[in-house]
Amino acid sequence: MAPEYYILIIGYVFGFYMAWNIGANDVANAMATSVGAKAITIRQAIFLAGVLNLLGAMFIGSHVTDTIRKGIVSTEILSDPHMALIGALSALLAAALWVSFSTLMALPVSTTHSIVGAMIGFGIMAGGFSVINWGKFGAVVLSWIISPLFSIIIAYVMFKFIVLVVLSRKDPFSWALKLSPFFIGLTVFVVVLSFLFKTPLGTSLALESWAALVAAALMAVFSGFAGMYVLKNVVKNKKDGAEAIFKYIQVGTACYVALAQGANDVANAIGPLAVIYFLVKTGTVGAKVPVPGFLLVFGGIGIACGIAMAGHRVMDTMGRKITLLSNTRGFSVEFAAATTVLVASKMGLPVSTTHAAVGGVLGVGLARGIEAVNFSIVFRIMLYWLLTVPVAALTSMLIFKILQLFIL
Amino acid sequence: MRIPFISMFMTSPFEGLQEHAEKVKECAWTFQQAVECHIADRCIRFEDFRAEIIAMESQADAIKRRIRGHIPMGTVMPVAKFQLFLYLREQDSVLDAVEDVLDWISYRTDPGIPQELEKDFLQLVDVVIDPIDELSEMVKAAREYFKSYSESQRVVVKEIIRKLRRQEHEADKIEDMVKRKAFNLKTDPVTVFHMVRLAEIIGSVADHAENAGDVMRAMIAK
Repeated sequence: MAPEYYILIIGYVFGFYMAWNIGANDVANAMATSVGAKAITIRQAIFLAGVLNLLGAMFIGSHVTDTIRKGIVSTEILSDPHMALIGALSALLAAALWVSFSTLMALPVSTTHSIVGAMIGFGIMAGGFSVINWGKFGAVVLSWIISPLFSIIIAYVMFKFIVLVVLSRKDPFSWALKLSPFFIGLTVFVVVLSFLFKTPLGTSLALESWAALVAAALMAVFSGFAGMYVLKNVVKNKKDGAEAIFKYIQVGTACYVALAQGANDVANAIGPLAVIYFLVKTGTVGAKVPVPGFLLVFGGIGIACGIAMAGHRVMDTMGRKITLLSNTRGFSVEFAAATTVLVASKMGLPVSTTHAAVGGVLGVGLARGIEAVNFSIVFRIMLYWLLTVPVAALTSMLIFKILQLFIL
Repeated sequence: MRIPFISMFMTSPFEGLQEHAEKVKECAWTFQQAVECHIADRCIRFEDFRAEIIAMESQADAIKRRIRGHIPMGTVMPVAKFQLFLYLREQDSVLDAVEDVLDWISYRTDPGIPQELEKDFLQLVDVVIDPIDELSEMVKAAREYFKSYSESQRVVVKEIIRKLRRQEHEADKIEDMVKRKAFNLKTDPVTVFHMVRLAEIIGSVADHAENAGDVMRAMIAK
């Protein structure tokens, strides 16, 4: 067997490992608030998160993968297949190492940022500083600042809105029921749109933008009212008021986050793997190579495995710690996080799901929705964010040098 | 910490606030017993009650310190940190005042309370007991409001605050009356001073409860 195939196998292993890590650590973002608010059990959360991450990875995921691979690092470096092969492998190894280290040391590090840093390191080694598209990199970095802010704003507005139109009314329960089509519809609208735009599914349906909008709107209206009908017949517990309604809607938004997470994060795991795969299979990588579906599935399965194997421990911690979140809060947090991530991933920006979720919680906190939230974590996150890119880049460069010694 | 999402959630200081309020409530009964015992003839358990109150006060102090020490920089709450601390201080002052009353009595237990004032003092204590009880209700109702943000719940909290104000006014009136009577007693000046000061300290229990209510009003302001 040619050495390329060994590299491919190693690529698969580490790609899977990265995906596993994403699943193990980031499942909290999607399901924490729902489990904390007792909308679903841990077992249900794990099952839903696993399945939806896989679906998200398969059907919405490909676009982001393209950007990580080709946006920041110029395709020039891929002209030497051998070099590119080693580079992609070292990027993957470096990111996996950094993520393992941060898991061990319990540092709040984003997998997304690790992989971006590692890819930059690989680019620098393979082609020097000139191959890095610094403008693009700047945009990505900017998106890391903007995405939590965006999420904070959505969550803040959403929660204030719920307080205004539901909670502060005389009969919150009936208002929640009356307005449930709006909340359900809004969620469905964004999800459907993200399915229709720039995904393999959307391409095969070949819908125009306006047609997609109309289709999404129609589905939103339909599912909104269908949802209300179901809620009317299912929710009998009027004692808890609006929360009883949002308990069910919240399950929907939790799924929404899991879906967005799968779509967004799968790229972190299989971005470099896709490069390796193409180099090995075709010997070259052109300017435009689609990410094969089975790699997305592979990444999705990796994430699902991480969720299934380590999710329980994480959820357990969450269930005990996040008891202060009611369902209206959970809904706001999840809606904000998922919308942020989906919008970003549609724009091809590799943002961190974790940061979007953290932003969502802060938004609700600022809207006076939570008894106490620790804001200071944001500064720690920023510190490790500043560290992650250079560290991952340097590690990636080091591994590149070592691999070069052995393989070349 | 690896999972930033979880690290954001911390123990709510309102939990401690509630616990503190319960502690304050707990002392109400003992306080009443102690004063009644003192007024009654041949009281032997007064010192026991006082020791109990002192123990409760130090427990409440521990809760207070715990709350103050565990709100790190960058904690986002539905109320400003200042307000929370201000509220806590007033709630704690209620218990301090209760302890002060018993201390003040203990300095000069012997001739006891003149017969002419016994009834009035019992009445005064009765009036300040209610506000002590009310505090924990208020904290509970306020937490419920911060959770539900329903207008009706806000009204419930405001009603409790109003009640505290009324009770303070009531206590004031009785305190005035006791003081007026005390100055007209045909007795030694030391007893008069002891009684006047005692009425003032008992009255301050309701004052602090009212202050707590006022801070709470600011906390639930939209």
